Amino acid sequence: MNVLVGLVRPDGGRLELNGVPLDLARWSPAAALHAGVGMVHQHSSLVPALTAVENLSFGALERGWRYRPSRERKRVVALAERFGLEAPLDVAVDDLSVGQRQRVEILRAEARGARVLVLDEPTAALTPTETRTLFPAIRRLAADGRGVVFISHKLDEIRDLADRVTVLRRGRTVGTLAVAEADAALLGRWMLGRDLPALAREAAPAAAAEPLLEIRALSAPGLREASRLREVALEVRPGEILGVAGIDGNGQRELEEVLAGVRAPSAGELRVGGRPVAFGARALRTARVAHLSGERETAGLVPGMSACENWILKGSYDDRRFFRRGRLDRSAARRVVEAALHEFDVRPADPDADIATLSGGNAQKLAVGRELEGEPPVLVAVNPTRGLDVGSARFVHERLLARRAAGGAILLVSTELDEVLALADRTVALVRGRVVAIPEAADRAQIGAILLGREAA
Amino acid sequence: MRLLVRLQPVLAALGALAVAAGVLVAFGYPAQPALRALVAGSLGGADAWVATLLKTGPLLLAGLAVALSFRCGVWNIGAEGQLYAGALAATWVATRALPGAPALLLVPLVVVAAAGGGLVFGALAGGLRAARGVNEVISTLMLNFVAIQLVALAVHGPLQELAGAYPQSDALPAAARLPAWGRLHAGVAAAFAAALACQWLVFRTPTGFRLRAVGLSPRAARFAGISPERYGVLALALAGGLAGLAGGFEVAGVTGRLYEGLSPGHGYTAIAVALLARLHPLGVIPAALFFGALEAGAGAMQRQAGVPSVATEIVKGVVVLLSVGFAVATGAAASGAVPGAEDDPDAATETA
Repeated sequence: MNVLVGLVRPDGGRLELNGVPLDLARWSPAAALHAGVGMVHQHSSLVPALTAVENLSFGALERGWRYRPSRERKRVVALAERFGLEAPLDVAVDDLSVGQRQRVEILRAEARGARVLVLDEPTAALTPTETRTLFPAIRRLAADGRGVVFISHKLDEIRDLADRVTVLRRGRTVGTLAVAEADAALLGRWMLGRDLPALAREAAPAAAAEPLLEIRALSAPGLREASRLREVALEVRPGEILGVAGIDGNGQRELEEVLAGVRAPSAGELRVGGRPVAFGARALRTARVAHLSGERETAGLVPGMSACENWILKGSYDDRRFFRRGRLDRSAARRVVEAALHEFDVRPADPDADIATLSGGNAQKLAVGRELEGEPPVLVAVNPTRGLDVGSARFVHERLLARRAAGGAILLVSTELDEVLALADRTVALVRGRVVAIPEAADRAQIGAILLGREAA
Repeated sequence: MRLLVRLQPVLAALGALAVAAGVLVAFGYPAQPALRALVAGSLGGADAWVATLLKTGPLLLAGLAVALSFRCGVWNIGAEGQLYAGALAATWVATRALPGAPALLLVPLVVVAAAGGGLVFGALAGGLRAARGVNEVISTLMLNFVAIQLVALAVHGPLQELAGAYPQSDALPAAARLPAWGRLHAGVAAAFAAALACQWLVFRTPTGFRLRAVGLSPRAARFAGISPERYGVLALALAGGLAGLAGGFEVAGVTGRLYEGLSPGHGYTAIAVALLARLHPLGVIPAALFFGALEAGAGAMQRQAGVPSVATEIVKGVVVLLSVGFAVATGAAASGAVPGAEDDPDAATETA
């Protein structure tokens, strides 16, 4: 996709638009824009401090030297109405919800005269309700003569929206089909290269067991007002996965940071196996609370360090196998890690490989292996499969279930509702920093309403 | 590509020399005699080698100081000031505090004072950074002026020679002078030993491991229970100590006195040294030798070929640009050859 929008220059092949071959030797983002390829990236590429109108005006600024705010605004309003993509236009983009920002991004592509629109996993961060309002807008774009490339790993979305589907695996086209002819089993096989059996889950544990992880009345300052944690209370029993569903920006990051010991809470108590534990990275490690983060590149792993160094990273204060009496025992670390990399199927299984050169899936496998080493009784997993390919995500899920089966208590915080519903024994919602119960019988639409902070209809 | 990455420092050094030569020719200086004088003055014979090594010593220590702090993601521009602070402390101990002490006592005390003076100066910037989030680029740069002015104040006032003739300190007593073989003093050997020690510290100890982790990703380090603030202070304190040693060794090994302008910008050249070494402590040895030879040869070049010695400044500048440029071009920035000045969004929330 980066090739399509000109961020990466292809080293072979042809690209045609409306039957006209494009000059790939001089292919660049500007050339892509000019040709009419617009993209909505998974992560917002808008300027956060500017309003939607201002963000959409960049193209206009290139046309002349005068900036006429009211004229620009009229143009944007007309565009928004035409495609049913409503969003507050005069508020800093930073204050918009993910869904609103996405609509602004689509509008921007339109404002630049896109003829082909590439949407990279646009639904990943949306609630079911938001997704449902996005689809008609995409259909209207297609009806208006735009070509839309919709990237998703969710088969039901493809079936709802697309006319044709192409499956890519490991950088190759596996096949293309009309959606009407595609069945889920075939597409799944294409995506994975093998059959994907349903996740095997044993029965829920006895409810009588004492909770292994208890969080009581936890409050913490947030990056924004909406993400401040307000008296969060959670309990996870051994052999249980407690799912915390929610939309990004409702306190997930703050909860993760508090439970990893890098954000100081303003109030609250944490108990592991009945004993109080201080909120600090080293105290939590001593209490054997493991932490698997979806933020691989920034929180979980250190890019620039080798696989081996990343594996031993968290033990730098207490792991006497590798760190003792002021010495770092590199050969011992390489021995242990090399075996572990094979066990967790990290490729390449080279302890000296820079972690930054590993694919996201392999890096996360390494992180999973590291966190589950020594079978920690409590695991806090936050968006553990964010950005992973289907196979790697599957690997992570299987490992989490295996830990559960072995009696571990797992707190699964995820913005991916499907992930939570598939894995968790019980599910609660995190809405504006508060824990909200989800009724057992709730369907997806009702859950979506809860996540958005509305009362279930 | 791999080979190119390996050879990058060599290419940077040669490229810088070529650019400097080109500039000389463009300004109508004779390139060949200039180059010959440069080489003869730095490598031609025992005296030239001694001159080179004497310049290499402080560059090595200050270069290690910069490399160590950059490794920890701390942009320490303050090696110059830390060097002066070390020189000041060493001079005070030798000429005012304990001038009559025997050599067996005084030499170690002078060395400790030099390291201590620099360490305090480094830790000052580190403390401000940790406690108040003061940007270390600003603080270390500004502290350079503070240290230079402190030295000026001292040699015009409390530390001025008792004869009162010049703005300089008294000569250090013989018992405070470093052991030497001719002009070559023990501080140079100590500088080489320091490079080995730093290599060991950075790559073979838990402390160095954590220091590197903080430099590469402060946020991930924090998740691993490592405090980026604390390691920032540690890195700056260690760096200050090393640079302070450079200043103390100059006073107690070369000049024998403290005066204004003691350092010809060693602390700034050290940045070029560290970058050329790609922040590897062992790499600092050849990098410091390169610049040491350049500075030793520059004088000869001026005397014998009439070429202004500032030509070597061009080399320094181009080396920095080429080193950084290479690092960016080969993506080495991500692997720690140049500290990715990565934002640590937690820094603020932690203290809040």
